[in-house]
Amino acid sequence: MKNRLKVLRAERNWSQQALAEELGVSRQSVNAIETGRYDPSLPLAFQIADVFSLTIEDIFIHEKD
Amino acid sequence: MSTARLPLHRRPGFWAGGLFAAFAVISALRISDAIDSTTGFILMVVAMLQIIPLTRASLAKQRSTGHLSAAVARYTRRFLFATFGYVLGLGIAVTIANRVELSQGESFLIALLPVIPVLGMIWTMARYLIEEEDEFLRHRAIMASLFGLGAVLTLGTFWGFLETFEVVPHVWAWWVFPVWAMGMGLGQCWMGLADRRASDPSGDEA
Repeated sequence: MKNRLKVLRAERNWSQQALAEELGVSRQSVNAIETGRYDPSLPLAFQIADVFSLTIEDIFIHEKD
Repeated sequence: MSTARLPLHRRPGFWAGGLFAAFAVISALRISDAIDSTTGFILMVVAMLQIIPLTRASLAKQRSTGHLSAAVARYTRRFLFATFGYVLGLGIAVTIANRVELSQGESFLIALLPVIPVLGMIWTMARYLIEEEDEFLRHRAIMASLFGLGAVLTLGTFWGFLETFEVVPHVWAWWVFPVWAMGMGLGQCWMGLADRRASDPSGDEA
């Protein structure tokens, strides 16, 4: 699943480490999600959406779309 | 943080190399009968002490690459205790078996000495999967464990048929756990390499 995490993070000038600390996960987790190598669970996807004050659909793009 | 910039004593590879080198030297001395089994066992226990700095260096490296969680730290400590228990249990079991005529029941009990710490290692791994709160690290640990399982099933089945057709010598069944653990380690290395290929190690890619 594609996502806009890298762009959204860059817009806010956040490092991967800063976002990881905000989410309470490892930096490697953020890296893996950002590069599309790992799709987060629904609870983590909601948490990411909350951090950016967006909806899940604003961040994660379904392949069909 | 690159390990190339670290002093030698803070690099996990340095201590892992020292551990393997010590095992190789002790095994060579033992095979050539330069030392007896008791001396060999004592030297093995002393060599095993290198696991403590190896663990510290590994934890520091994991911390620097963003792989260290509280669950990983607990897992490492528990695994360290179990490893010491395994070496002690194995050494005591082999020493007793070599020196004392054992009944079948006594042999059964002696065999449990190295098995109980192995059960401790399996329990440690299970606890890690339960306690790890970072879902990506948990996912990686599960994938690595499946990689190890695949390795042990493939190698075991293939070796079994080779043994049936008398191509290779018999291998003791206790090798399943080390082979599984080695397969798990290889799986982690393979995923780590894929991580490094796919991402900027600085972690600040914009």
